[in-house]
Amino acid sequence: MKFAIALFSAAHAPSSRRALLFAQAALAGGHEIVRLFFYQDGVYSAANSVVTPQDEQDIAQQWRALVSEHQLDGVVCIAAALRRGVLNAEEAARYQRNAVNLDAPWALSGLGQLHDAIQDADRLICFGGP
Amino acid sequence: MSTLHVLSHSPFSDSRLDSCLRLCGAQDAILLCGDATYALQAGSAPFKALEVSAVVIFVLAEDAQARGLSLPEWAKSVDYPGFVQLSIDHDKVNSWL
Repeated sequence: MKFAIALFSAAHAPSSRRALLFAQAALAGGHEIVRLFFYQDGVYSAANSVVTPQDEQDIAQQWRALVSEHQLDGVVCIAAALRRGVLNAEEAARYQRNAVNLDAPWALSGLGQLHDAIQDADRLICFGGP
Repeated sequence: MSTLHVLSHSPFSDSRLDSCLRLCGAQDAILLCGDATYALQAGSAPFKALEVSAVVIFVLAEDAQARGLSLPEWAKSVDYPGFVQLSIDHDKVNSWL
């Protein structure tokens, strides 16, 4: 079964962790994740500037590890990211900002990537809110 | 055509659960996760609404456990592999963001 997963919440939201555990369970069950698409506040789940208290789980880091380990297609919505100050080196240079808080394995791209993933996948699963 | 409705907001803070129950078709099911599991608080209005509805109710085990909820027999507990299976068993998954 091919899944597309869309995440609408930041790493500190329980729904980000639920999406992560769903993705891990899907992969463990032998299923394919055609794309992860981080939209709206979901862009904060990919930011590498997030500092998690030591006694809490670092969900942003766990997302990064999952995407790297399984070589997933991790896409962060570029419009949502720019307006929230989540920038990779290229965008930081383009807009003369001095902070870079997004890097590999994440890619910045457009909403069309979500549409494309939905066409390709058997199921779209969205996570967001609390 | 069946839909799995995924709820995560508390039923005591908005009307998502009521709207969802109104929309649910005969083949549909509801998965309660996060604060939505508070709908299983025995004796509450959301509990009674779920109890009398014909909709199949699933609940994410660890979220119910984290809130100390004891589950009625009509609510089926699932873990994450179970959640993945539910998403396969239904044609669509609708998350009430």
